Amino acid sequence: MEDIFSALVKDFVDETQPIALEVGAQVLKLEEAWGVGEDGKALLRSLRSGLHTIKGNAAMMGLSPVAQVAHVLEDVCARAAEVEPEDRPALVQALLEGGDLLVMLIRSAPAGSLDAGRADEFVARTAVSIEAARAAGASAGLAQMPTETGAAGVVTSAPSDGERGSARIADGDVDELLELAGEAIVGQTELLRVHARLLRGEFEAGDMEVMDRVLTGLGRTTREMRDRLLRVRLAPIATLFGRYGRYVRDLARERGQPIELCIEGGGTAVDRAIIRRLSEPLVHVVRNAVAHGIETAEERAAAGKPVKARILLGAGLREGRVQVTIADDGRGLDMQAIVAKAKAEGIDTSRYGEQDLQRLIFHAGFSTAKTVTELAGRGVGLDVVAGVVQGLGGRIDVRSTSGQGTVFTLDLPVTVSLQKALVFGVDSETFAVPTGFILDTVESREKDLQEINRVLLLSWRDDFVRATDAGRLLGCQGLAEAWARPYAIVLQAGNKRGALLVDWLSGVQEIVVKPLDAALLGCRMLSGATVLAQGKVVPILDCVEVVRRVNRTLQPERSGETKAEVVYDVF
Amino acid sequence: MSSEERNAEAMAVVAAGKAETLLAFADALVAQGQRGQTQAPAEVRQYVAFFLGETEYAIPILQCREIVRLTTVTRVPEAPAPVRGVVSLRGHIMPAVDTRLCLGLPGAPPTPRSRLLVVEVTGRLFGFIVDRVARIIKLSVPAIESSAEGTAPLGVTGAVRVGDGTVLLMDADLLLHARLGAVAPNTRGEEA
Repeated sequence: MEDIFSALVKDFVDETQPIALEVGAQVLKLEEAWGVGEDGKALLRSLRSGLHTIKGNAAMMGLSPVAQVAHVLEDVCARAAEVEPEDRPALVQALLEGGDLLVMLIRSAPAGSLDAGRADEFVARTAVSIEAARAAGASAGLAQMPTETGAAGVVTSAPSDGERGSARIADGDVDELLELAGEAIVGQTELLRVHARLLRGEFEAGDMEVMDRVLTGLGRTTREMRDRLLRVRLAPIATLFGRYGRYVRDLARERGQPIELCIEGGGTAVDRAIIRRLSEPLVHVVRNAVAHGIETAEERAAAGKPVKARILLGAGLREGRVQVTIADDGRGLDMQAIVAKAKAEGIDTSRYGEQDLQRLIFHAGFSTAKTVTELAGRGVGLDVVAGVVQGLGGRIDVRSTSGQGTVFTLDLPVTVSLQKALVFGVDSETFAVPTGFILDTVESREKDLQEINRVLLLSWRDDFVRATDAGRLLGCQGLAEAWARPYAIVLQAGNKRGALLVDWLSGVQEIVVKPLDAALLGCRMLSGATVLAQGKVVPILDCVEVVRRVNRTLQPERSGETKAEVVYDVF
Repeated sequence: MSSEERNAEAMAVVAAGKAETLLAFADALVAQGQRGQTQAPAEVRQYVAFFLGETEYAIPILQCREIVRLTTVTRVPEAPAPVRGVVSLRGHIMPAVDTRLCLGLPGAPPTPRSRLLVVEVTGRLFGFIVDRVARIIKLSVPAIESSAEGTAPLGVTGAVRVGDGTVLLMDADLLLHARLGAVAPNTRGEEA
């Protein structure tokens, strides 16, 4: 019984949450339409129909707080066409607040803990103002609508959990997949017949052709099945960008400055897992643009720029990868502050070009804000953003022109389930490293290695990188020493580098990333596993952890003790 | 597609109309009614019996999804003690658990008769490495219930006499719980 109920609630959330999330976006469009003198009737109609669906679904599930909120919002929409323009902001505010409340309530539906009190309060407050408006006649509008302050805005800044975990497949796609599966089975049956004959020692003239034909067909069928299933994982990146519309609007209000948000290439399809994991880091980049990038209205006017600032979120496909752009037309990065900070950290800035200096902002502690405002100075840093992007098999870059703005570019794979990885071997074991973390692979000669205070260093491109024997780090059973490994893989994760000394390297290949069971959560050096040809299972290294360990592992004592030791960072 | 993949991030929900949801609901109610009826006093449960050394063990057939030949186990650095590594079951990666180590017995190298009992616990798959699979046995519920006496290793829920021998009853769920910590639905893939 309970299972069935929770399945029904899950269906309800899957079906209704997207509509509720859409409410906020539509209200913003409505505000915009009103702003340019349109009547917004079509938007109001679509808002009402969405709210009506939510109401109906919620009532069917017995979730009356949701139904009541949706109902009262429907009423607000019904009055909206008649209100005076000066009353519109209050109405927009009420709709936004109600939309947030719906999202929150629907999200908590599976847990069974609906905040009925808040729903009641909102419904009562809003209903009262509607009644008041009605009593005062159609033209009085909702001017007296009291608004709750401070409570809104939470939803868009933390959009990660509520809508996770499911994708919808159109019935047609299911049919096509079934058809492909059917084709594969037919192919297999044909092969079995030939196989059986060959087992009996009978060989017919056409057998070879049959096998060729069937195998070619099977190859095509299975590839197509994989491609189609991969597509199920994809969603337009607009679902990610859309979340920032409200956020930028709120930031703009907070700063009392007009900001225009442009979205380009919203239809670009990306893995849902990527959208989910980028959602929060990107909030930070957008906030960064507003807090650090965009000047005050006076500064903009003085610089001869349009007072209305512009933030662009763009996406597009290039060479099979997704390029995401977050651009602002603000003042650009504060290069002096970056250089000063770098010098304070003991970095020789004369060795870096302008572009490399700009990239320093992805290192921990390089926030350049002069004053910690309400907007900036909170939450994650750009180093964390870079880490998330890298973890997804992507790269982040920045390019800034003083006085003209800053552009962040993210280069991401379309899907995280497929990654490019380098396969290597150490002792008798095989592992894979995602190529996004690999700086270089080199032959490791004994003269390139030196040991100082039990710290092993690899000389690499006029620099030294800490190195560790991969066999020892990964607990392999071999006896070979670090000095004897013929190759080194130089890794970079965040701002840390480390080299793994290995026995052999095989080419870079595309691998299907599979998660490890939660029972193996303690295996922090692995991020998953993949299956290579002949069904060989190969663990995939979690490079962030591996690089961290490389920088903490000391060489064994000369006495022959070979146990790995972990100490605090020496560097 | 294995059940864990179904739980994974890209779980596919086939769009179903309300009528279908309600029908499924009705079906479940009917099934529940039938299950109630079959709970007759002399219920018989089936077990998969296997050997570890000379001792015969058995787990409920309902916990066991399939039995496969033991293929190469890939070692996983820093895996908890009873986990020998991971194996691929038609492309799905699952932990291979050494049943001997789980029960506190000395380990033994795999032989051609070694098998992997694929067990499903809360939607996750685990492979239990056993020395060899013996047979399917049927036990009546009273016999099972009266067997749970005395002290037994973790995960062993009782002992029953079958013919001349004794079979130790094992609960894979309890065993995993005790040896690998709480077996909650898989969340690893969801990590940020």
